[in-house]
Amino acid sequence: MVQYNFKKITVVPNGKDFIDIILSRTQRQTPTVVHKGYAISRLRQFYMRKVKYTQQNFHEKLSTIIDEFPRLDDIHPFYGDLLHVLYNKDHYKLALGQINTARNLISKIAKDYVKLLKYGDSLYRCKSLKVAALGRMCTVIKRIGPSLAYLEQIRQHMARLPSIDPNTRTMLICGYPNVGKSSFMNKITRADVDVQPYAFTTKSLFVGHTDYKYLRYQVIDTPGILDRPFEDRNIIEMCSITALAHLRAAVLFFLDISGSCGYSIAQQAALFHSIKSLFMNKPLIIVCNKTDLQPLDGISEEDRKLVMEMKAEAMKTVIGQGGEPTNEEGVLLTMSTLTEDGVIAVKNAACERLLNQRVELKMKSKKINDCLNRFHVALPKARDQKERPACIPQAVLEAKAKQAAEKEKRKTEKELEDENGGAGVYSASLRKNYILANDEWKEDTMPEILDGHNVYDFIDPDILLRLEELEREEGLRQAEEEGDDFEMDGQELSLEEQEALAEIRKKKSLLIQQHRMKKSTAESRPVVPRKFDTDRKFTTRRMGRQLSSLGLDPSLAISRARSKSRGRKRERSVDKREGDGRDAMDIDDNQASKKLRLRSTSRSRSLSRPPGEVIPGEGLKDSAQKIKAIKLAKKSVLKRNKNARRGEADRVIPTLKPKHLFSGKRSIGKTQRR
Amino acid sequence: MRLEKCWFCSSTVYPGHGIQFVRNDAKIFHFCRSKCHKNFKMKRNPRKVKWTKAYRRLHGKDMTQDSTFEFERKRNRPERYDRNLAENTLKAIKKIDKIRSDRASDHIKNRLKTGKVQRQKEARKQLELGIHLVKAPLALAQDSSLCLLKIKVNVSQAQTEENQPMEE
Repeated sequence: MVQYNFKKITVVPNGKDFIDIILSRTQRQTPTVVHKGYAISRLRQFYMRKVKYTQQNFHEKLSTIIDEFPRLDDIHPFYGDLLHVLYNKDHYKLALGQINTARNLISKIAKDYVKLLKYGDSLYRCKSLKVAALGRMCTVIKRIGPSLAYLEQIRQHMARLPSIDPNTRTMLICGYPNVGKSSFMNKITRADVDVQPYAFTTKSLFVGHTDYKYLRYQVIDTPGILDRPFEDRNIIEMCSITALAHLRAAVLFFLDISGSCGYSIAQQAALFHSIKSLFMNKPLIIVCNKTDLQPLDGISEEDRKLVMEMKAEAMKTVIGQGGEPTNEEGVLLTMSTLTEDGVIAVKNAACERLLNQRVELKMKSKKINDCLNRFHVALPKARDQKERPACIPQAVLEAKAKQAAEKEKRKTEKELEDENGGAGVYSASLRKNYILANDEWKEDTMPEILDGHNVYDFIDPDILLRLEELEREEGLRQAEEEGDDFEMDGQELSLEEQEALAEIRKKKSLLIQQHRMKKSTAESRPVVPRKFDTDRKFTTRRMGRQLSSLGLDPSLAISRARSKSRGRKRERSVDKREGDGRDAMDIDDNQASKKLRLRSTSRSRSLSRPPGEVIPGEGLKDSAQKIKAIKLAKKSVLKRNKNARRGEADRVIPTLKPKHLFSGKRSIGKTQRR
Repeated sequence: MRLEKCWFCSSTVYPGHGIQFVRNDAKIFHFCRSKCHKNFKMKRNPRKVKWTKAYRRLHGKDMTQDSTFEFERKRNRPERYDRNLAENTLKAIKKIDKIRSDRASDHIKNRLKTGKVQRQKEARKQLELGIHLVKAPLALAQDSSLCLLKIKVNVSQAQTEENQPMEE
C-alpha cells in the first residue's frame, strides 16, 4: 500500500533525452575499441554486447516507469477517482500501456539482432547490424515520446497532490464558493490556504491537521461546489465530489447566512439537497458562517424553513449513527470566522461526532472483540458486604521497611569519595571487601616476581611438605656425590710431572714450527746446504747448552768436537810427522808447524768479516757479486708503502656516504643516478 | 605482570623488554631481544642453534628432568591470598633455586668427568713417550726423578751495550 505520497516517482525523461542517456551509457560502459584484425568471435561478442546492453538499459528504465506509476485499480478508490478526475483514467492507462509495448518491442528487436549477429562474418557486417538494432530501438522510443511527456506532466502534478490518508479521522469542509471554508481551515489548522474575495480561489484539495482530545484529525478543504447537474461539473468541482464520495469523514456543510458569497440561502439549500446522497453514513454538521454580518435569528421565514429542513436531514444521519436523537446541538452551529466566534465550538462538535461514530463502528466490527477480550478484568461477585483486603504477611512488610531504611542509611562509595577530598584526591580502597581468612591481610602487597621467577607459579598449599621432601632428597644425593668424588684423585699427575709435560709440549711445538718453516722455504727456493753454517747454529757452545739442559755432561763432547773441527787436516799431518821421527828438515817443519799453530790460534778467536768477503761455500763468484746480492736483498726487504692499510685485503671505506657525492643538483641534466 | 620465556633462547623476558609476535593462528611468541627475533624470522630451528637452551637440553648438555622443575608450573586457578602461604612460598623459592642450580652444575660436572679422565691418560702417555726431548735417557737412567735442570744464560757485556742504542 503506497503511503499516498506520489513524490517518490522517478523523473520520466522525454524521448530525445531518453535516447541520449541510454546511448551514451552504452558508449561509456562497454568496451569501445575493436579492430578488424580481431578474431571473428571476438568481434561478434563485442557488438552483441552493445546491443544487449542497450536493450537491458531500456528495459530497466521502462520497467521502473511502469512500476512506479500507481495502478488506478490497486489504490484506494478515493485516489483512484481523484486521479481519474484529474488525469482521465483512460489516457493514463493508455500511456502506460504504450510504454509496456515499447519495452516488449525493444526486447524483441534485441533478440532478433543478437541472433543475426551470431552469424556475422566481418567487422563491417557486425557493425551495421548493431547500428540497425540500436536505430530501431531508438525509433521505438521516439514514437512513444508524447506518452513520456504526458507521464512526466502527470508525475509532476501528482507529486504536488496533498497527502491525504483516507483511513484516518477526517473532516471535510464543503459548500458553495466563497462561503468561508478556507478561512475556517486557516483558523483551526496551520494550513495557509489562499483566501480571496473571488470565487474558486481554492482550486484543489488542501489538507491541514488539527488536534482534539490527544488525537490528530485531518481537515480537508475543498473547492466550492456549484449546483449543477453531475455531468456538467468541471474538474475542480469533481475533486470535491470525489472527496465527499470516498472519504469516510465528518462533513461540515457551510452555509453563508448573510448571502455575501453571492448566492442565496435557497440556492445553497438546493445544493445541499442535491448532494445529500453523498452524506450517507457520515456525521453531518451544518455550519452557518458569517454570523457577524447576519445572525441566525435574523433571517427571513423561508430561509429559516430551509435551514430547518437541512437540519432535519442532518438529524437523520445522527439517528443513523446511534447517537442520541434528542441532541440537537451538534447538528446546526453558527460561527463567524472573522470574529472567531464559535469556531472552536464547531471544531469540537465535529470532532466529537466523528469520534463517536468511529468508536461505534469499531465496537460493532469483529476485530474489536479480539482486543476487548484482553481487557477483561474478572471480578468475583461479592458474596456479602464484608471487606476483604489483600493479605501481606507481617515479616514481608517488616523486611520491606528495613530494606528501605538500609538503602537510605548505607553510605555509597561516591559519598565516601566526596567526603575525603573528591575524585583526584581520594582513591577508593578496592580491597575493602575482600574475603580473607584473616582481615589483617587485606592491604598486603604480594610480590609477583622474585629472582627471575613468577611467584604465582610457585604457590601451592602444600609447598612446605614438598620442600621438605626435596631437601631430604638433596641431602641423600650430596652424600652420594662425595663418595663418588674420591675415586678420581689417583689419576692426577704430580707437579714435577706436569712441569715436564709442559716442557715437552713446548719443545715439540718449537720443533714443529721450525720444521714448518724449513719445509716451506725448501720448496720455494734453494737453500744453502747445511754444511755451510751461515747462522752459526753449530757451535760447541750451543751444543754444550743443549746437552746440559738434557741432563748430560757436555764437556767430553765439546772437546771431541773441537778436536775434530776445521784445523783437522793440519793437525793430522803434525801427528804423522811426529810419529815418523824427527830427522830431516826439522827447522822448516818446526817453522811450518809454528805458523800453523799461530794461524790456527788466530783463527780460533772470532773476528767479524768485512761485508763483501766471499766465503767459499756460499755460491757467489766474487766480492762484487756478493755486494750486489746483499744490496738486492736489502731492497727486497724494504717495507712497501701500504697506504695505511694492513694488507691488500684491507678495504676500509672511511665514509660510506660522503655528502658531496650524494647531494646537490646538477647544473645540466637529470639526477637519476649518482 | 609476568616474566615470560623467550621462545628462541628460553631466557626470561622482563617487562619492558623484547617483542611479542602473535601469529594468525593466535599462537604467541615472546622474544627477549632482536637477536632471537631475527633468528626466528630467518626460520631457524632453535634446536639446531648451539647457544640456545633448547639445543643444550636436547643434546644432554643441561639437566632436563628433575623434581625441582615440578615446583614451577603455571597454575590457572587463582588461590585466595594467605599471608603465611605467601611467606613460605617466597622462602621456598630461594631454596628451590639453590638446589636446582646445584643439581645443574653437578650434571655438567659429571658430563665433563669422562673427558677429564681421558685427558689425564693422554697426558701420562705423552709424558712417557716424549721425556727424551727434555731429559736424556742416560741421565734418566742415572737419576730417575723428573726434575729438570734450569739453564741460566749469561748475557755478555758487549751485547748489553749493543742493546741500549736499539732501545732508544
